[in-house]
Amino acid sequence: MKNNGIQLITNGKRLDGRTARDMRSIKITPNVVKNAAGSASIEWGNNKIIAAVHGPTEALPRHTANPDRAVVKCRYMMAPFSSSEEHGRAGMNRRAVEISKVTAEVFENVILLDQFPGTEISIYVEVLQSDGGTRAAGITCASVALALSGIPMKDLPYAVSVGKVGNDLILDLDKIEDNYSEADMPVAILPRTNSIVLLQMDGAMTKEQFKEGLAMVIESGKEISRIQKEAIRAAYQEPEKEKAHM
Amino acid sequence: MKRIIVPGDLVEDKPLHLMDTFIEENKTYATVISIYDDEKKSLVPLEGLWYPQRDEPVIGVIEEAKLNTYTVQLSAPYKGIIISKYTEGKIENGDMVEAYVKELDKTGTVVLSRPRVLHGGKIVIIRPAKVHRLLGRANTMVKQISDGTGAMIKVGMNGAVWLKGGNIDIATDAVLRIQNEAHISGLTERIGNMVKDTAPKNASEPQAPKKHEESA
Amino acid sequence: MRTITNEFMRERIAAGIRNTKRGNMSYRKVIVNTGNLPNAEGSAEAIIGDTKVIAGIKVDASTPMPDTPEEGNLTTSAELLPMASESYDVGPPTPESVEFARVVDRGIRHGNIIDMSRLFIEAEKVWGIYLDLYVINYDGNLFDAGTLAAMAALATTRMPRFEDGKVIRDASMKRMQTGNIVTSCTFAKVLDKMLLDPDSAEESIAKARVTIANDGNELHAMQKGMGGSFSPAEINELISATFESSKELRGIIKKSIGD
Repeated sequence: MKNNGIQLITNGKRLDGRTARDMRSIKITPNVVKNAAGSASIEWGNNKIIAAVHGPTEALPRHTANPDRAVVKCRYMMAPFSSSEEHGRAGMNRRAVEISKVTAEVFENVILLDQFPGTEISIYVEVLQSDGGTRAAGITCASVALALSGIPMKDLPYAVSVGKVGNDLILDLDKIEDNYSEADMPVAILPRTNSIVLLQMDGAMTKEQFKEGLAMVIESGKEISRIQKEAIRAAYQEPEKEKAHM
Repeated sequence: MKRIIVPGDLVEDKPLHLMDTFIEENKTYATVISIYDDEKKSLVPLEGLWYPQRDEPVIGVIEEAKLNTYTVQLSAPYKGIIISKYTEGKIENGDMVEAYVKELDKTGTVVLSRPRVLHGGKIVIIRPAKVHRLLGRANTMVKQISDGTGAMIKVGMNGAVWLKGGNIDIATDAVLRIQNEAHISGLTERIGNMVKDTAPKNASEPQAPKKHEESA
Repeated sequence: MRTITNEFMRERIAAGIRNTKRGNMSYRKVIVNTGNLPNAEGSAEAIIGDTKVIAGIKVDASTPMPDTPEEGNLTTSAELLPMASESYDVGPPTPESVEFARVVDRGIRHGNIIDMSRLFIEAEKVWGIYLDLYVINYDGNLFDAGTLAAMAALATTRMPRFEDGKVIRDASMKRMQTGNIVTSCTFAKVLDKMLLDPDSAEESIAKARVTIANDGNELHAMQKGMGGSFSPAEINELISATFESSKELRGIIKKSIGD
C-alpha cells in the first residue's frame, strides 16, 4: 500500500474534480518541429511533451542494423525543468532507458518495418513538463508524429494509465495519484484490434480489477483516438506550415 | 465522398488492391495519411516516403568519389551509387547531379545511371508524396512555374527539386506552396497567379531585387 | 543533404540577396513567449525564423561556491536535442552545445541581470538558479535565440521560499528582481559581407562568426567563432550595429515579460 493518508477521492470526486472515469483534457498540435520528418506536441493535463520522428535513415552504428527490416530507436527524456519540484538531473536515467525501450516496442508492432531494411527510425519524446502519465502521453503523441512522417503503419496506437484508490479504479492518474494510489497500470493499445502493445503495472490489483481497468482503458481509447485523428486532419485543413525550406 | 484517412482506418469493407493499404480479414485498411474517395475508390496519399522505381529521375548530391564509384545522397533512407564507367566528364564531391534509377540492390543502395552534373542553382527538398502534384498532368504544373518565373526546374522523384536562374525565389515559394497546399482545390490557379510574368526582364541575368537591378 | 552550393550562395550574397529576403542587418521574424511551462519557476520560448529555443529555470536551495559564500549561483546547461537537426546526435554534450551554454551564460552572468547577493538564504545555503536551454529546432543563430529565451525566462522567474529547512513552491511566489535586459546579436562573415542573424545555410558557408551581448549601454559578452577572422574596423562596426539592432530585441523582451 502506497497510500499514506492522502485522501485521493472524496464523495466520488478526485482532487482535481474529476470522476473516476474522467480523463484530463488532451490537446495535440501537429508539425511543431520543422526539421523532423514528422512531429507533434501534446498537452495532456499539465503534461507538455514534444514527439518527433527522424528517418528512416541508414542504421548507425552499422552493427545495430538489421538487414531484413528497419530498427526502431526511441529516446524518451524528461527536461531538468519539467517537474514542479527540484531541478532534475540532465540526461538519461534508468527509468528513462526503460520507458524508451517499451515505447520503441509499441511502434515495432505497427510500422511496416520490412519495407526499410538496414535502416533506423528514431522517435524522440521530450517531456517539457510532467504531471504523471508522461509515457502514455508520449506514446499517444508519437503516434501522431509517426503518421505525419509518412512512415507506413498498420494502426495509430494510443496509451493511458489506470490505477486504484481503495477499491475504486481511476483512469488517467496525475502525479499525486500516481504517487499515492495503490496501483498504477499504463497500457498502450492498437485501436483497430484492441491488441495490448504496452502493459506495465505496479501495486496491487485483483484479477477482476485488472479486467475492469483494461475495459476502462479501451473505452477511453475512443476519445483519445478521436483527438489524435482530429489533430492529424487539422494539419490538412489550412495550408500547412511550410515543412521544407531553401 | 472524399475523406481524410489515417493509418489503421478502414478504407473498404472488402479487399481492394491499392497502394498504401493492407488487407486483413478481407478488409482494406490505410497505412499512411491519405484522401480516399469512396465513390471513385481512389486513394491519394498525403504523406509517404519515396520508393525508387526503375528509370525514374532523381536528384542528389555527390557524397564521396571513390576509386570507381561515386556515392550520392538522395532522400533518406536510400543512398545512390554511380559506377564511374557510366559517367562522362568530371564529377566532384558536393556536386548536384541528376540521374536515373537503374535498380535497387539488395543492400538498399540505388544504382544510378546517366548522371549529369547540375551546375549552380540550388535544391529544394519537398515531401515525396507531393512530387506528382508538383509535376502536374503531363508536367503542366512545373512548366507553369518555369514559364512564369523563368527559372530552370528539374524534379527528382525522390523529392529533391533543382532550381536555377529566373526569379528563383518566387519559383521556390511556388514549389513549397504546392507541397503544402497539394490537397486544397484551386491550386493550379493560385500558383498561376503567383508566378505569372515574374521572370526578370533580362532572363540571362541572375535574378536580383529591384534596387540592385537599377544600380546595375 | 547539402542543398545549396557555395557558388549559388556567393552569387546571391554578392548581389545582396538573402534566402529569407531581408537586409544584411535585419533579423528574421523574432517571437518570444513566456510562462509556457508553469512547473518551472521561469520559462520562455524564443523563435527566430525556424530556430526555436526553450529556456526553463528551476530555483533550488544549494550550497554556495567557496569563493562567494554569500552569493547565489547560476548554472547554465544546453541540450541540442536530436530532433532539432539531422546533425545533432544522441549522447554527451558536444563542444557545440557547451559553447552555446557558456556564451549565453556569460551574457546573463555579467549583464547585471540578477543580483547574486540577494540570493543568500543562510550560512552555507543560497539559491541556485538552474537555467536549461533546449534547442527544439535549429536553423542557425542559436546564441541570440538562447539569450532571448534565457533573458525572458529569468525576468519572469518566481522565487520559492525557504521555510523550516524546506523549499516551498506555491501560488504566492513572487517574481525574482532582475535588473538589466541583455540581448545578443550574432553576425556571420560571408565573402566580405556581414550578415546579422545568419540562418543555417549562411552559417554553413560563413568564414567567421561573432556574437556581441549588450544591455543598451555596455557590452557584456563577446564570442568570435569559426576559422576566419575580423579586422578591428569590422568588429567596431558590428558593435555599433549591435547597439542599433538590440533596441528591437529589447522591445520584444519587454513586451514578453509584461514590462
